Amino acid sequence: MTVDRVLGVGAVFLAIPVAAASWGFGVGSPKSPGAGFWPLLIALTMAGLGISLIVRPGHAQPSDAAPGSRWGRFGIALGTLAFYVVALEPLGYLLATTVLLLVQLRWVENRSWRSSAWTAVLTALISFVLFRVLLKIPLPSGVIPLPRGW
Amino acid sequence: MDTIGSLLHGFAVALTPGNLLAVLLGTFLGTVIGVLPGLGPTASIALLLPVTIGMDMVPALIMLAGIYYGAMYGGSTTSILVNIPGEAASVVTCIDGYQMARQGRAGPALGISAFGSFIGGTVSVVAVMLISPFLAEAALKFGAPEMFALLFFAFTCIGGLTGRSRARGLLMACVGLLLGSIGTDDIQGVDRFVFGTLYLRDGIGLVPLAMGLFGLGEILYNIEQREDTGSVLETPKNLLPTLKDWKDSAWPMVRGSLLGFGIGILPGGMPAVASLVSYALEKRVAKHPEEFGKGAIEGVAGPETANNAATAGGFVPLLTLGIPTNSVLALMLAALMLHGVTPGPLLLLKWPDVFWGVIASMYIGNVMLLVLNLPMIGLFVQILKVPYGILSPLIIMFVLLGAYALNNSVTDVFVTILFGVAGYLMKRYNLEPAPLVLAFVLGPMLENNLSKALIMSRTGSPLFFFSRPISATLLTLAILVLAYPLVWWCWQWAADRRKAQASA
Repeated sequence: MTVDRVLGVGAVFLAIPVAAASWGFGVGSPKSPGAGFWPLLIALTMAGLGISLIVRPGHAQPSDAAPGSRWGRFGIALGTLAFYVVALEPLGYLLATTVLLLVQLRWVENRSWRSSAWTAVLTALISFVLFRVLLKIPLPSGVIPLPRGW
Repeated sequence: MDTIGSLLHGFAVALTPGNLLAVLLGTFLGTVIGVLPGLGPTASIALLLPVTIGMDMVPALIMLAGIYYGAMYGGSTTSILVNIPGEAASVVTCIDGYQMARQGRAGPALGISAFGSFIGGTVSVVAVMLISPFLAEAALKFGAPEMFALLFFAFTCIGGLTGRSRARGLLMACVGLLLGSIGTDDIQGVDRFVFGTLYLRDGIGLVPLAMGLFGLGEILYNIEQREDTGSVLETPKNLLPTLKDWKDSAWPMVRGSLLGFGIGILPGGMPAVASLVSYALEKRVAKHPEEFGKGAIEGVAGPETANNAATAGGFVPLLTLGIPTNSVLALMLAALMLHGVTPGPLLLLKWPDVFWGVIASMYIGNVMLLVLNLPMIGLFVQILKVPYGILSPLIIMFVLLGAYALNNSVTDVFVTILFGVAGYLMKRYNLEPAPLVLAFVLGPMLENNLSKALIMSRTGSPLFFFSRPISATLLTLAILVLAYPLVWWCWQWAADRRKAQASA
């Protein structure tokens, strides 16, 4: 199954619930289109394109990626991203960012403990000063108590 | 008041020390913020708007215009060097600009981008100056059917961006359209695909989507790949493009200026649309279209010129009709109104200082940006020369920070990450993200105008669009663009069948 065929099938499968939902929004008529008119058009086009991909898939493209890759590092990187979303507000910008950077520098990019630690802390601090203090963009302070006006 | 006299008066206004400072500050700040991935012109303007309230009207507006321009310039720099678009209009520059950088040709790419922007901006300012007095009349004739036709035409040009497979690209575009329709419907107020959440009522933000797809996606892809990417960033040695570069870029720049200005002045004409159409156009007229996507300088020269030309062009409907053509200009409209100015056909008459002062300072701003950017590119590159192993986490941090800074919302960060994963997957399986993003932007406007036009038609018949000259022309062009590959496709299919039958 080439990627195109998978895409085509996916497109058709996506088009069905979208079309159904569009119907639910009220399609109206061409002279008075409802909220579902446009999504319905999209769904129909997607289905059409999906079918054309199934019927006549393009040549299989070798992807640029080498098979067998750095899944470990990739997984850790994704993990840090998930962590950040969850921890940003409770822990605050400074702490969450420091952890994010530290883990990435040390385990994804394989840098030394010292270099990672320094870079992480300095970057978090400098960016904090730059964005929150100078540009006045509110960043969560989380668990670290900050002087008033910061 | 004759035009030259007015322009001279405008220069007299713009060249006072206070206003000069405003231009300088605006363009510098704009460029710096534009270079940082994550904060685009809208964010920069939104942040600095409160500051300008304290200022006098003319310097305030001049500074905001400078920021807008500067941010556009800055956005191109990150697109080329790090493949992260600073804002929507630089998305197209990433395509060939980044490839040029990977081939060690970052210097010429940046140089042509700066010159192209300068030329596009300058040509536009001259054009604005000449046309504005006349344009108020013509633009009033552009109704919903014409807008729809124009946008549809732009949409069909997206097909030209799709690299290998048209159907795939169009499918991505449909996904973009679908994503764009999420949220409360404009006309009827119905919540679509909102799944009961408050966040989705406003729709998915373009910035988290684009930053995720392009920025995070690329970085995640690089992390997953086995080989070390090494330092992709060497100091661009020659910032000056070679003679051949100039020769290759000349026509794209000419076309880009005209196209950009033409799109920029129309209601709904965004610099992003201009750069997209320019790219598609250049690809179609190029002698070697297969070079596009691999570092063709035309793919940088044309779009960069076009987007700056469109930026300047966008001021025309703003100043003559009071119609902002994008969110940045909408903020400027707010600034104008806060200062007691009502834009519209009367602006020229009642506040000539504002009109001509802004025009003149745009010209000065263009010069300043060229003067600033070329030497300062060295500075930006030094910053970006830090090893990729350090840069990668930092860019991730910037992207996430930028996402958060938009609305103080962790949900935006989450959406960015989601699209980052999507971007990674798309890269892995050779799917183009550009059509998705561009359809996402065009979609709501397409729908809006289509609905309005259909209601206007009273019959709901598509023939209505052909009864009006402007929309008829545009739609015919669009159909030609679409039909040509379709005809080709059918022909291929028939040829394949014949071959299969012959060999059976």
